[in-house]
This record gives sequence, C-alpha cells and structure tokens, in this order.
Amino acid sequence: MLRAEHLSKHYRQGEATITALTDFTYDFPPGATAVVGPSGSGKTTLLNLLAGFDRPSTGSVELAATKLETLDEDGRADVRLRHAGFVFQSWNLLPTLTALENVSFPLLLAGVGRSERNQRALPLLEKMGLAARADHRPNQLSGGEQQRVAIARALALEPAVLFADEPTGNLDSAAGAQVLDLLLEHASGERRLVLVTHDLQIAARAQRVLHLRDGRLTKIEEL
Amino acid sequence: MELLVLVWRNLTARLTRSTFTWLGIAVASASMVLFLSFGEGLRHALAAEMGNMGPQIRVVAQGTDAFSPPLPELPPQMLEQIKQLAPELGIEKVIPAVVMFRGGFDPASSFLFYGLPPGADPRDFYPKAQVAAGRIDPHPSGAVVGSKKAELNHLTMGKELRLSRDVKLPVVGVLKPAGSMLDSFIFVPLRTLQKVLGTKNYGVFLVQLDPDAKPEEVAQKLEEQIPGIDAQSTTEALKFAERAMRIGDLIRFGISLVALVVGGLLVANTVMMSVYERTREFGVMRAIGARRRFIFGLVLSEALFLALAGGVSGVIAGYVGSALINLYTQHAVGLALSAVTPRLVFFSMGIALALGLIAGLIPARNASRIPVTEALGRV
Repeated sequence: MLRAEHLSKHYRQGEATITALTDFTYDFPPGATAVVGPSGSGKTTLLNLLAGFDRPSTGSVELAATKLETLDEDGRADVRLRHAGFVFQSWNLLPTLTALENVSFPLLLAGVGRSERNQRALPLLEKMGLAARADHRPNQLSGGEQQRVAIARALALEPAVLFADEPTGNLDSAAGAQVLDLLLEHASGERRLVLVTHDLQIAARAQRVLHLRDGRLTKIEEL
Repeated sequence: MELLVLVWRNLTARLTRSTFTWLGIAVASASMVLFLSFGEGLRHALAAEMGNMGPQIRVVAQGTDAFSPPLPELPPQMLEQIKQLAPELGIEKVIPAVVMFRGGFDPASSFLFYGLPPGADPRDFYPKAQVAAGRIDPHPSGAVVGSKKAELNHLTMGKELRLSRDVKLPVVGVLKPAGSMLDSFIFVPLRTLQKVLGTKNYGVFLVQLDPDAKPEEVAQKLEEQIPGIDAQSTTEALKFAERAMRIGDLIRFGISLVALVVGGLLVANTVMMSVYERTREFGVMRAIGARRRFIFGLVLSEALFLALAGGVSGVIAGYVGSALINLYTQHAVGLALSAVTPRLVFFSMGIALALGLIAGLIPARNASRIPVTEALGRV
C-alpha cells in the first residue's frame, strides 16, 4: 500500500518559509497514478516524501504497511530497497557497472549471491530487449536503452510500488513510448505506479491523474 | 560484483589520478622502509659483531663515545691496576690496544688500525678469525689485513703499508672473509702504532674473563675501583647500542613521516575529489536502498585499497633499494647494513593502512551523509 495523510513540506530560505506541499492526503490504489502540474507545483517534493527521500514537515506516509516518518535514514533505505523501485528522468545508472551489474545492484544490496543475481537480472534485461547489451557500460548505451536498464533495475526486487519521475523526459517519442509501455505493464494486479510528469498525453495513459497546483492537490481525475 | 570489484572499478575509472596517488603512497612507504631498514641492518650487524667478539669487557677512558675509535687516554698504570685486580675479579687476560682511524671520503680510503701487544693477535678480537695468506700475528713488524681491506686497497702479501711519514710496515698476513667488521681492520704491533701516535698510553683494554665470572659485575667493580674509566660488557654495549638505534629509528621515522603524511594527504585528496564527483552516484545508491554503512564502507575501502597497493609496492621498492644499498656496503665494508625484516614489513604496511584509514574516514563519512535529495539534485 501507499498512503499519504496531511502531508506538508516547508523549507526555510533565509528569513522566509517556502511551502512546497500543503496538506496532501491520498491513498494510492493499485495501478498507475499520474501526478501532473506545472513547474513548482510540488510534484518532485511529493515524490521525495512518498519515497522517503525526505521527511515531511507534518503528516505521514505509509509505504508497505510502514510509516516512513518513524524510521531513520537507513530504515527508510531498507523499505525502499524491498518495496519500491525508481526510474528517474536522467536514468542515473552507475557508470562503472555494466547493464547487467546495474540491474543486479539492488539484489547485491539485498544480499543475494552472485549467481542468483545474474539468474534474476538477465531475464529482466531480456524482457527489456537488452540481453545483447548486458556487458555494456551506460556510456555505450543510447538514452532509451539506458532508461530500459533503469526500469529493469527498478523491477529487480519486484517492488510493490514503482516511482517514475519524468521517465520519458530525455527520450525521443519512439523510445519514450516504449519506456512508458514497460512501466504501465508493471502496474498490474496489486502493484502501483506513481508517474510524475508534466506531459498530459503521458498522464492520460494512467488510470487516474492527480493535479497539483501551488503545492496543493486540486483535482483527482479517474480515467 | 562484490565490494572489491566496485572499489576496483571506481579506482580504475579515474586511472591517472589513482595511479599517481598509488605512486605517492608507494614512494612514501619505500622511503620509510629504506630509512628504517638501516636501523634493522645495523642491529643485525651489531648483534652478529658482538656475538663474534672475544673480549667480554671493553675498557675505555671515561666519556669516550661508544661509536668512535677511542683516543689513547689510558695510562700504563691503569693496565697495572687492572692486572692487580685480575685474580680477585676473575679476569683471565687483559689486552691493551691502541686504535687509529685514518678517514677518507669512502670506505676504500678509510683505515682502522688496531695496535696489538706481543702475544695477542686478531683471534683475541674474533676467535673465529683465520688467515688466508701469510701469518695471523703481526709481530714483530708487520701488518695483518682484513679481507675486505686487502681487496679494496690491493694489499697483497709483502706490500708496504705507510702508517706515517716515517713508519712503514709490510703486509705479513691477509685474513679470510669473516662477514664482520674484522674484514675492514688492519692489525699492527702496539709499539709501532704508539710510536705513530706519539704516546705510551693505550686506547682500550680488552678484558677476557674466567668462565665463572659475570661480565656485568666485573665491569661495575672495575669502574668502582679504577676512577676515570668506562668498562662495558658486551651485553651492556648491545643494550646501549639498541638504545642508540631506537633513537636513530625515531629520527629516521620522523623524517619518513613527512613523506607519509604527504602520501596520506594525496589519498585524502583523491578520495575527497572522487566523493565530490560521485555525489549523484551515491545519491542513486541511497535512493535504490543502500544503507549509509554501505557507502561508508565503499569509500573507505577505496582509500584503504590505495594505501594497501601503495604500501605493498613501497615495501617491494624498499626491499629492492635495500638490496642495492647492501650490494654497495658489502662491496665497500663487507657488511650488509640494511635489512628489510618481517617486523619492518608489518610496521610499514600497518602505517600505510593506518594512513589510508585516517585519510579515508572523513570522505567516507561525508559520502555516507549526503542527503538523497541533495545528491540527486531533487531539492
């Protein structure tokens, strides 16, 4: 499950207090949920709080039956490792590792042995159509390929929630469509996809759209 | 893809920087190994020397520097005093000797003469001394030359050795190599050397004891009963030398520490720069689910790996350097004055790793504490 209750985030900037998110409450149902809004509307802040990257000023986030605000940094990292996957706009692959090793990395953190890591990571790369590129480093892959490796990495531990922040932002339309299909494919059954985007066409592929403006949830649109 | 592989990939990704850092540590470690190897070598040489020496007590004028040739400051009466005390103290034999050093710029042009009285020969110094050519006794008017000295200065049998403007002696014996200081000595008759120095005094009394006598006790009694002398047993001399060596070790370690600190700063700089450049990488790792300890361990391992690689290379380079130095000193004085002992290897590796640890701690701590949002630029 993924639930946010009365989530707010304020930043201090000199003497001023900036409110990035105000009183956000939402219980994310299974399937794909898009979060849209103009720049500065609080989308990234919301994702940071939902994923436990940051602590809320007030309110609470429950991810996989765990209240994130009760955990320390390492506790939140453990929850992310076991229950959440991430796909960023700029791929964020580890540059010194091959595609296969990047996909295996969460498994390494989870203490999975080398042979099992490879057994589990290789099919994911095959599914992304990248089996032939398993031994390539990120700088030897195209943008679309890197993003597909990132998706495979996010899925390595079969997380309940997949967070994607502008996953197609740096891709051409064909590669973007392919990446989006792979993400939406994951959001089946009890699994959840939280898709942050400013592109309404992409948001329209989700089952529901949350509209943010000036840090507030202004509209929930079921599609 | 275990931690070591990650460490290796990260270091080789910045190959030039890592290589220079490794070289810096290697040079620092090698210099430390070389500096300290002199202490170790001297210790070995001294222990072997003392073990080979015949006399159990060495008597010199009070205040004589233990490592310099003693000046002829012991009057003949003192010899008589010791001889009178001999039966009471268990002294078997007293050999009065004079030492003369003619220094040059290198071992080949430096000469250390020992003047021995009639009835004494090099075997009284080194019981294992053997003659390779001629005779072992320099009396009545000849010189017996150590093997290294003979080799370096081409002192063959019958060749004349000039001690002063007026005094010349033929070489009457050449000793076999002993692997000790004996190889560099020249033994001549006592009267001849006293004449050269213009004195009737002695420089040193070499005292041999009965088997039952205790050298330390006899030395103490000699000092009590004959004012103005220093009597030192072989054991005391070793202890004194060990203290001197330790002081030398500290000084040499202090000098090499400068190089080591520079090496440590190199590691710290390399790892700090690497952490700074890889902030986003660490953010990604943390976002995926890496604990702080993982990042901390990764960065610290990189520093330790650099230090270990540098330390090992430094020890190897130091070993080679030490071997080269020994090649020279063995040629020059017949002694290996530098030694890379196991304890020196462990010590050097320990210091290198400690430096790596210290240099890596702050970057590792910083890397593990970067907030995920900052690292990913998601503020």
